Amino acid sequence: MNIIVVGQGKLGVTLTAQLAKEGHNVVAVDLNSAKVTSVVDTYDVMGICGNCINIDVLKEAGAKKANIVIACTSSDEMNILCCTFAKELGTQHTIARVRNPNYSNQSEFLRDRIGISLVVNPEYEAANEISRIIRFPSAANVDSFAGGTLEIARIVIHENNPLCETAIVDIMKKFKQKVLICAIQRSNDVEIPSGDSVIRAGDSISITGTRSELTSFMRAIGVYKQKINDVMIVGGGRIGLYLSRLLSQTGRNIKLIEVNEARCRVLSETLDDVTVIHGDGTDQDVLEEQNLENQDALVALTGIDEENIIVSMYAYSKNVKKVITKVDRHSYSIITDIGLETVISPQLVAGSLVTRYVRALQNSEDQSQINSLYHLVGGKVEAVEFSVPSGFKYENIPFKALKMHSKLLIVAIIRKGSIIFPGGDDYILGGDSVIVVTSGRSLTSLNDIFN
Amino acid sequence: MNYRKIYNVLGSILLLEAVLMVLPVMVSVIFRENIRTALSFLITMCILTVLGLIMRARKPLKDTFFARDGYMLVALTWLFMSALGALPFVISGAVPNYVNAFFETVSGFTTTGSTILTEIEPLPKSILFWRSFTHFIGGMGIIVFAIAIMPKTEGSAMHIMRAEVPGPSVGKLVSRLRASARILYAIYICMTLTLVLLLFAGKMPLFDSICTAFATAGTGGFSVLNKSIEGYANSYCEVVISIFMVLYGVNFNLYYVTLKGHARHALKDEELRWYLGTILAATLIITLELTVTRHPFGQSLRLAFFQVSSIISTTGFTTTDFDTWPTLAKTILLLLMFLGACAGSTGGGLKISRVAILVKDAKRTIKKAFNPGRVEGIKIDGRAVDEELVTGVATFLAIYVIVIFISVFIIAIDGHEMIPTLTSVITCINNVGPAFAEIGPTGNFSALSDLSKLVLTFDMLAGRLELIPMFMIFSKYIIPRKYA
Repeated sequence: MNIIVVGQGKLGVTLTAQLAKEGHNVVAVDLNSAKVTSVVDTYDVMGICGNCINIDVLKEAGAKKANIVIACTSSDEMNILCCTFAKELGTQHTIARVRNPNYSNQSEFLRDRIGISLVVNPEYEAANEISRIIRFPSAANVDSFAGGTLEIARIVIHENNPLCETAIVDIMKKFKQKVLICAIQRSNDVEIPSGDSVIRAGDSISITGTRSELTSFMRAIGVYKQKINDVMIVGGGRIGLYLSRLLSQTGRNIKLIEVNEARCRVLSETLDDVTVIHGDGTDQDVLEEQNLENQDALVALTGIDEENIIVSMYAYSKNVKKVITKVDRHSYSIITDIGLETVISPQLVAGSLVTRYVRALQNSEDQSQINSLYHLVGGKVEAVEFSVPSGFKYENIPFKALKMHSKLLIVAIIRKGSIIFPGGDDYILGGDSVIVVTSGRSLTSLNDIFN
Repeated sequence: MNYRKIYNVLGSILLLEAVLMVLPVMVSVIFRENIRTALSFLITMCILTVLGLIMRARKPLKDTFFARDGYMLVALTWLFMSALGALPFVISGAVPNYVNAFFETVSGFTTTGSTILTEIEPLPKSILFWRSFTHFIGGMGIIVFAIAIMPKTEGSAMHIMRAEVPGPSVGKLVSRLRASARILYAIYICMTLTLVLLLFAGKMPLFDSICTAFATAGTGGFSVLNKSIEGYANSYCEVVISIFMVLYGVNFNLYYVTLKGHARHALKDEELRWYLGTILAATLIITLELTVTRHPFGQSLRLAFFQVSSIISTTGFTTTDFDTWPTLAKTILLLLMFLGACAGSTGGGLKISRVAILVKDAKRTIKKAFNPGRVEGIKIDGRAVDEELVTGVATFLAIYVIVIFISVFIIAIDGHEMIPTLTSVITCINNVGPAFAEIGPTGNFSALSDLSKLVLTFDMLAGRLELIPMFMIFSKYIIPRKYA
């Protein structure tokens, strides 16, 4: 597809890289020529330097025939305007990043009246993801499929874990829960496991199952964590605001530390039932004074990655049960090596959202719709949920009769609300939801998984 | 430096060269030549394959590829390709001296067209075919070709493309690099096929048509006849070749723009206008001078147009011994050698767009001297040119002049006349082909010493790759400190 990505900030570059890798024709637009040059040098895309509100620039970028325009400049107004212009020029779909809370809750208006297909708020999406993790603290990360019927949770295996040095088949025999291990990450490599793959200490594994089965599995292997009630949030930016609101609605106790006094005042006026503290959350004394040791969870959300990392490491040393770190520069691979279990990057979260939307548009012709798409383990593995159209090419054929691509695993089939972990005798029917985990290739259609 | 990756890609390109050598072998079979000639290609193919496979044996550890890796890859590719591409000349006995064969091959790949051969016609057809075919490969660039056929390209391949495609700034046609490379090659091949058909229709033998078309396409200049195009005594073919030489000297991006239906946009291109204007002016002046001094008007016009388009596109075909022309005509040709063709074409030289920027910069500097407060940007096609690019062009000129000075100095040791010493370097660094006096249209480079030939070889490569990549081989990076 022909895609124009306007604005090459952190999100813009993430999207440009991801979409170019998936084989789309990407045109990157930015005002700053240095940024355009660096993007063109690094990724296989065309670059155009100019203002995205200028019709000539949009025309030069090919907005007349583009399938999608994604506007993610730093200004919400520019993004909305750019999408409107592009739409008027003939672009089929437009996606705008809109961050200002004042605008973002009018996304329906933007969609129905202005014609912007998708409004993305990375900070809100990140807050949403964090709140999901906090609601299921045993896992390092969790993603849900089929409206929450099935979840994929990632857990880190420490030395004393009973799963250490055991093969997958033995695990399945030993713990009779209906869960499936669908990816193993060891240092920087990711493996889609077979029955005889062995789990080692330091790995992080992704497992699928229903919420209750995952919970009992985690109990059995001793990584279960009690419900989190007290959450300390360091940094009262946009994510902090959204997260506090989401969590306080579920009745949890939130302590929000913010360094800027004026911002504190705004926060306390907008948020009910949240303790807003004015202080430097990266200062050890402040953290101790605010009783870090007795918190169930700490979320580091300051604007500076280094501070988030150091605060998180301090929290680990104080045995805080759940520590979540926001890192913008997610390309550094050492982050998981230094012991940070749960790392959130708003760009990656929003990137997944946009990629999912793009893929869904792409395969609308063969009707195997993508319902959800998640990037696991730092974007190296994808979990995709397809809904199967009736009259699907491989319908009703048992898997053992089909040749499947390597590095790919059909994790589950959801048929009329019940979950099937497929074996060789199972098959796909029209109307099913199929969840596929893959490393190293991007799936756009269910047909892609069979040879 | 990512040496593993560089050698990996280099290995693939050597394999590609081995595949391309299938064509001369086929020619050899068709013309039922001496088995030694076919064998010379087959042996070279084996060497290329083995070397290529060895280089590809070690998989790269990482995919990072920076600008200097790109320059290094391009420099090594052209050196290896020429060094190995010279083998058939030596093995078949056509050019027994390796330095001569290397000179001839580099002259082919860089589309210079300077030759050390005194007698061309007696050579086996397959060798002649290979000699012309190197022009065709080198014209658009082997790496661009590799990008066009590679199954997948990474974004960083842009660094490589930039190092190989001539011109001060390189842009893509479409967002995918591979698609851009394919479009370029598609236009290139289609134009060449058209030329072959037109020449064949003009009663030139098929083999000669193909070889001449290759040499015209790459703006090379190797002919299969001793007397170059003059040898055919066919004014229809002369006119066709003149027009195509002009066409190949145009930025290929403009053809793409035209194909997309924006012909008017392409015609407004400033560089194209400078280019066509220069051709027109030079042709007119030379025609007038020739009409006054020797030939009738029609013949003068034909000779002038052919020589001017041949020199400005840096092809180097000749239809007359222009060394006997009056001084003004000769001087114009010498100046055209420096000017060269458009950026993004297959031609060499300084490139019109660089000269345009230099002229505008000079004008601006003079204006600024009169009024120091004056601020003025340089515009090409109505768009402001990046100041960094302007400085880059000025520096390019400086390096270019320095390379010419040093080369002339070394070649002067041979003790030839002043004019051939000076013009041999100018013709080589600009990838033109013929020079003046002893190495003019009727002469050749065989009288020079081996050292001079190597210096000129360097000049040809430096000229084709636009100087910077060739300096890579003098840098500390050439020897891997840590082969990882």
